[in-house]
Amino acid sequence: MAAILQVRNLVKRFGGVTAVNGVSLSLEAGKIYGLIGPNGSGKTTLFNCITGIVRRDSGAVGFKGRRIDGLKPHQIFHRGLGRTFQIIRVFPELTALENLLVVTTGDVGPARKRAEELLRFVKLEALADEYAGNLSYGQQKLVEFIRVLMTDPELILLDEPAAGVNPTLLNELLEAVKALRDRGKTIFLVEHDMKVVMGLCETVFVLDHGEKLAEGPPGVIQADERVIEAYFGR
Amino acid sequence: MKRWARWFPPAFALTLLVLSVYPLWATGYGIRVMLQLFMWIALAQSWNLISGLTGYVSFGHVAFFGMGSYTTAILVVQGVAWPLAAVAGGAMAVVLAFVIGWPCLRLKGPYFAIAMLGLNEVLRVIASYFEGLTGGGLGLSLPTLDASVRIYYAMGLVALAVTALTYLIVTSRFGLRLMTIREDEVAAEAMGIDTFRYKIYAFLLSAAAPGIVGGLLARDMGYIEPISVFPLVTTITMIVMVLFGGKGTIWGPVLGAVILFTFQELVWAHFPHAHQILLGAIIVTVVLVMPRGILGVLQQRYNLPRTV
Repeated sequence: MAAILQVRNLVKRFGGVTAVNGVSLSLEAGKIYGLIGPNGSGKTTLFNCITGIVRRDSGAVGFKGRRIDGLKPHQIFHRGLGRTFQIIRVFPELTALENLLVVTTGDVGPARKRAEELLRFVKLEALADEYAGNLSYGQQKLVEFIRVLMTDPELILLDEPAAGVNPTLLNELLEAVKALRDRGKTIFLVEHDMKVVMGLCETVFVLDHGEKLAEGPPGVIQADERVIEAYFGR
Repeated sequence: MKRWARWFPPAFALTLLVLSVYPLWATGYGIRVMLQLFMWIALAQSWNLISGLTGYVSFGHVAFFGMGSYTTAILVVQGVAWPLAAVAGGAMAVVLAFVIGWPCLRLKGPYFAIAMLGLNEVLRVIASYFEGLTGGGLGLSLPTLDASVRIYYAMGLVALAVTALTYLIVTSRFGLRLMTIREDEVAAEAMGIDTFRYKIYAFLLSAAAPGIVGGLLARDMGYIEPISVFPLVTTITMIVMVLFGGKGTIWGPVLGAVILFTFQELVWAHFPHAHQILLGAIIVTVVLVMPRGILGVLQQRYNLPRTV
């Protein structure tokens, strides 16, 4: 099957720090991928390069067979590549419903219907008209998660979806991610919670010091000595 | 709050009616006070469009006012009818907004505010320097004409138009997208919103009315000079009115303009020098006590819809 996302020799430096150092990876459509690595290993920077939030120094990113590096974030989003953030980035002074509506293009009617469906999906319909800033941490996380679903993107990058979410909510979130995969969507997630990564992902990439250390099924990765060393030291 | 919503439309209609027949019995002074109030509403409302909605603080919005004043004055001196000249003033202000916005709205954070401050200073110097066109530091006198009543209506119309425009924007997805820039520009970009384009739109819309009212006031005053049409204090007054009434709301700038202008007229008459100190005091108080302004506080407390 053809790759939906291809990253080739991606390099990103911040001053003297090379945050991402020649990473290459390839994602196939309809699967869930994980990205792990110690703090500062370049996971979020890699996401930011893919989504155009920061400009890569060299290398290429291809999405659905076309290059997207060099495009602006909003252009990449409209190609069908959505994301959430590690730190919550809802629009606090917009209501939950408005947070969803701003993302859509086209008629307001269908957009509103979809927004209401999604709010029901995460059981937040009663809070539709509440300012997003007044919602709890977990609720804001859900709003951010369904916000990216408004335009039905084909590839979704989730930056630490499980962090700070209570176990019940987490299960629902994970079920939702699986449901998306079953509908043919591709998910790429950064996560520190190993149970989540191991239970959900079909393939896991490991980053360390900006370089790809390993790649493979979760079971193999967990046993990989280089990975253990990166996390715990020699 | 429902009851409030019911009596608002008739009260608003009555206000408009009273204002539209006011010149029938008003004194010349009364008309001039009211046309200045309309002007302040239009200015505050315009500043709100860019700074209240997108969060990009313009510290030089009076530049558009001055641009409109000079454009109108020069055209009137050339024999162009003042309403047409004022519209041309608005158009020139929009052109200026495009020229300055295209590079400066790519800057994020405080750089835009600083660039706007600089723009105003540069324009004032230019107006002083090109004596042939602007009369330089001596200023520019317009042919005498008593048009205060007509200018009163023109100003009122502009104030009404900007308020209506604000209503349309704030209650639309376009307006919500402008607000996402204020809330979190990076997230807005990542969610498919072309923030630069939206900022440019808001900025162009916010420049038109100041250009027009600048032209109208120049016509009414009959004389302009660089320091009278490019004063920093005019920008600051716009900002204070919006912060006081409630930034990002529809009626906040109107409320702020009415209250502060009334207050200013009263204080101005008695203590001409206290007025700037008071302005400063109000800024500090508003920022510390109610950063959302009057309507912002009410909106948050009673969960009012954006239509307020």
